Amino acid sequence: MTKQRKWFAIPGFLTLAAAAAILSAYAGASSTQGNSPVQPVPFPHPMHVQTLKMNCVYCHFSATKSPDPGLPAMSTCMGCHTVVGTTKPGVQKLASFANKKEPVPWVRIHKIPEYVHFPHMRHVNAGVSCQTCHGNVQNMAQVSQQNSLNMGWCVNCHVGRSNPPFKARYDCATCHY
Amino acid sequence: MSSETQKPGVRRREFLKVVGATGAAATAIGCSSERVEKLIPYFVSPDETVPGVSTYYATTCRECSAACGVIAETRDGRAIKLEGNPDHPLNRGALCARGQAALQGLYNPDRYRTPMIRRGGRLEKTTWDEALKVFGEKLAEARRNPVGVAFVNRHQSGGLGPLLTTWLTGMGMAPPITIDPDADHAAIAANREAYGFAWPRLEFSAARLIISFGADFLDGWGASVPQQLDFADARAKGIDAPRFVYVGARRSLTGLNADEWIDARPGSELILVQMLAGTATAEQAAQASGVSAARLTALQQEFAATQPAMVIAAGSGPNGLELCRAANALNRVRPSTGITSFEGSEPTSHLRALGQRMQGGQITMLMVHNVDPVYMLPRSSGFAAAMAKVPFKVSFSSIVDETSAMADLVLPDNHSLESWGDAQPLSGVVSLQQPVMDPVFDTRALADVLIQVSKSGAALTPLPDYRSLLISRFPGGAAGLAAALPRGIASGSLPQAVVGRPLPASVNANPGNGDFTLVVYHHPVLGFGDGANKPWLQELPDPVTKIAWQTVAEIHPATAKRLGVENGDHVLVETSAGKLSLPVFMYLGIRPDTVAVAAGRGHAESAGRYAKAGANAFDLLSYSEDRAGGIAYTATRARVTKDGTFSRLVTTEGSARQHGRGIAQAVVVTDLGTGATREAGGSEHAAEAAPQGSVSGANQERALGQKAAAGEHGAEAGEPEFPGDASHEFLPGLRSPTANDAQGELGGPELKSKEKGMYDPKHWSGMANRRWAMAIDLARCTGCSACVTACYAENNIPTVGADWQGSKFLPDRTGFGANITRSREMSWLRLERYFEGGEDGGSDFETRFVPMLCQHCGNAPCEPVCPVYATYHAPDGLNVQVYNRCVGTRYCSNNCPYKVRYFNWFGYGEPARAQYAFPEPLNWQLNPDVTVRGKGVMEKCTFCVQRIREAENRATLEHRGVEPDEFTVACAEACPSRAITFGDAADERWSVAKLVNDERAYHVFEELNTYTAVVYLKKVNHPSSSLVSAGSVPSAASTPGGH
Repeated sequence: MTKQRKWFAIPGFLTLAAAAAILSAYAGASSTQGNSPVQPVPFPHPMHVQTLKMNCVYCHFSATKSPDPGLPAMSTCMGCHTVVGTTKPGVQKLASFANKKEPVPWVRIHKIPEYVHFPHMRHVNAGVSCQTCHGNVQNMAQVSQQNSLNMGWCVNCHVGRSNPPFKARYDCATCHY
Repeated sequence: MSSETQKPGVRRREFLKVVGATGAAATAIGCSSERVEKLIPYFVSPDETVPGVSTYYATTCRECSAACGVIAETRDGRAIKLEGNPDHPLNRGALCARGQAALQGLYNPDRYRTPMIRRGGRLEKTTWDEALKVFGEKLAEARRNPVGVAFVNRHQSGGLGPLLTTWLTGMGMAPPITIDPDADHAAIAANREAYGFAWPRLEFSAARLIISFGADFLDGWGASVPQQLDFADARAKGIDAPRFVYVGARRSLTGLNADEWIDARPGSELILVQMLAGTATAEQAAQASGVSAARLTALQQEFAATQPAMVIAAGSGPNGLELCRAANALNRVRPSTGITSFEGSEPTSHLRALGQRMQGGQITMLMVHNVDPVYMLPRSSGFAAAMAKVPFKVSFSSIVDETSAMADLVLPDNHSLESWGDAQPLSGVVSLQQPVMDPVFDTRALADVLIQVSKSGAALTPLPDYRSLLISRFPGGAAGLAAALPRGIASGSLPQAVVGRPLPASVNANPGNGDFTLVVYHHPVLGFGDGANKPWLQELPDPVTKIAWQTVAEIHPATAKRLGVENGDHVLVETSAGKLSLPVFMYLGIRPDTVAVAAGRGHAESAGRYAKAGANAFDLLSYSEDRAGGIAYTATRARVTKDGTFSRLVTTEGSARQHGRGIAQAVVVTDLGTGATREAGGSEHAAEAAPQGSVSGANQERALGQKAAAGEHGAEAGEPEFPGDASHEFLPGLRSPTANDAQGELGGPELKSKEKGMYDPKHWSGMANRRWAMAIDLARCTGCSACVTACYAENNIPTVGADWQGSKFLPDRTGFGANITRSREMSWLRLERYFEGGEDGGSDFETRFVPMLCQHCGNAPCEPVCPVYATYHAPDGLNVQVYNRCVGTRYCSNNCPYKVRYFNWFGYGEPARAQYAFPEPLNWQLNPDVTVRGKGVMEKCTFCVQRIREAENRATLEHRGVEPDEFTVACAEACPSRAITFGDAADERWSVAKLVNDERAYHVFEELNTYTAVVYLKKVNHPSSSLVSAGSVPSAASTPGGH
């Protein structure tokens, strides 16, 4: 290499190498793991699930019937909260929405890309507990995403590497269509 | 680098350092596109609504007058797909392309979103309160001069017409002029005289011969869906099927489905009917029609020998009424029932007479509902100019159009899918109409507006709205209606509309001079203009010409040669009414002295962003009526000259001929059941090979044994050329024997592992025991293309022909259809149309329609060439495309011999990109179960995998297996001829498993050993019996299959 060429080539290669290293840190599937946004109403799962022993499906009613697990309608919440806990600040915040006849705009926590179709009812009815994927939501004062929900993480279970192993299809067109 | 001074080198070095550093910095900041997404729950959860699961409502389609039953699939309160209602006796589960496209009328971005009022010369948004206040004031004023008020209403079977009439006559005003834009008034008038009802239920199965004089019963004349289904059923009777002869100057889609075409001069059809009736001689008829006396004599003999013959005629010329009367008199298959939804419309002469009264200043207030007379009536009728003189005009249109653009007040009606109503399609049957979702925009139903406005005077009803009125009239009231609505039909009778207004004297314009006759015809899907604002219908290639988004002048190839033009060269078509410069389309199916132009396109700017594509054929028509009051569309003479300009044809046609490829094969009806069907009609290559008939079942040895025993599988079948050679050996479930991940045993000794995983038939999932397959019966397919539109609706397929969807960077082609001229149409399913015969330019040619879609080949050429394994063969037989893996190499499309793979050249599915195909609210229609593909991704037919998964999920939830024929794919569900059957070919309980074994079954390009899952059943031709016995039509084995 000529003397002049190296002043041009070496910084160039170093830059490329640095860029590759930085970019590779962003490589791999992105995920919202660890996502724990603040919700407009500070709904406490521990109170409802552990103390009051409410079943997940009481609110997330379509998890056994539909790909979409469903969110409770405001009427489900107000069914109790018109009279229960009305002095609590969280309930009052809930009531402020209900009195304006507005649904609470929950912030989405778990999101998978739109080219994947995940059917909740197949999993729930096959005996996969909610906690398997969503973690111990009953202990979370503010729900956070416990698992990456990336394809590799899902496929682990589908190819029989979970404990106990499940029988699930791992054909691509099972989820990608 | 040279050894120059340091300066240039230092600059370069500095430049690289800077670029390198900023580049790294940019990546270090990173791309964090975290958008906060909200999840909004219901306030009160609606009953029986499960998010993520569709809710279905039965209602009535109002896209034409037939009133077929529709089941609307809604998801989260939005209608996403329409299917035919299987319980409805008229359409019995099928739905045509116009019906499917009703969703694009509902979600059209050019709909009126609020009431509009004209201020300062422009229409401006206003509120309902204000609009109704103005309406009330104007009505009060108009009541002082009730004869000066006119209401033009769209004909619609049911209670709305009588309600409107009661409202108008209650104020002393004339009843509404009730217009059906698609109706053939000559036929209706003749039918009333002959049979007592306006439209017969045509009984094709009772006929041995059908002669149609221009009556396009398969593509828009009357009730297309039941007519198509009844016709397909009649033709499926094989040797007992009626032969079909079409007489007309232009061979329409219906004509292409006929066994014979008599290319008679427009207007001469009457003499031909008289010839058949015996009151004219063949020589006189030959003289008038330009058809040889020999052919006409043969027709006479056939008519005499083949009875009962059904004779039907359409009135498109000045002598339309006389023609229809004569045809009805000759008709030996007298209909026993009528399609009652056609009762009550009035001829367009009433509109023309209204125009004359408006011109004379007699009309002070005009109200128009769902009709577009400014477009529909030719400019030469003077309607538009006359309407401008009316002081106050009200439109109830739900979408922008030329007529409402002239209005002073727009009170937008709900779309039919947002409305309550009823209809009487058949005697004793009431078809119910209910809203399938809340109104998309701030619109109100016409009936509700009338009820509200009438309350200030003589109230139409004490009830608050139209829904309450319908409930009060329904037997059993609210409970009765609620019980009947899920099925969508009820028994009963609605009061019939009374039609009794005397006909205005007809207008006969001078046809002008010119050596051509101009035929303006009703477009199969755009009608006389209604469909032009729906991109699905604009993009649907016309079944006959394969032209989309464009208006062409159709002329005979010999005429084109004489004029010195070829496809795309413009001709100037001049008539006494106007002139248009149109690109030429050479078409065998038209008389050399005739030029045909399709109606429906070329709307004004005021009609929205899609409808202005093409040119307006009505500008050429000199307004003339037949004696039944309908417009005469073939009464104009034209001069056609080359004008020197050129436009590319916006066409999806590659070639009109098969060139020996054997894609569309046919047999003669006399071959059925003789075993001769196997060899017949093949390509030059496949003629030697026995076809890939399939055998259901799982035992390969049994299959081979059966093959040896069944002699009709071709005596020529010798030893296989290599193991699994498609022409000699066949494996169960249409699988390819050479794909070693599907059939490990035949994979050869070099296979490292015998582990087949999910491809093992013994795998617990059982996926490998299924073979999803499809049988398409070419004898039933009429080419109507309802399947194409159904596929667009189900699978979020983008339309690409709008004028904003072309390339933005250095655009090479612009305008409507630019992308289609670059072969970028996205239709997963397309109709191929091939002509056979007629190379001499004569009228004796045959047409074969082949629906072409991804064949899901067992031995797919597209699968091994994908560098990233984005396409592969699933164990249940599907060829799967994984959109997120695709990097856009396009090698798969390159390798596909059927060319059924489509690439997203632009971001048709990405809202941020300029070429987005679904401007709000068209995107409300998108199916949430199907991925919307972005730029750079390959897509193709998936055999509606989302429906397969839905059926499997439902079955698993109910702890059972999927039942045979439990579900089907979108194209099969829509087809009005029932030509497509889908299912599991490896399970003999499914219907498709029997069809793939049919004697007429073949695979396209089977000599390529692709082992397609789509099996076609050869078209059945019915040549004239006299021709067959005389030996002039070759018998089975050498029927030309595509030269």
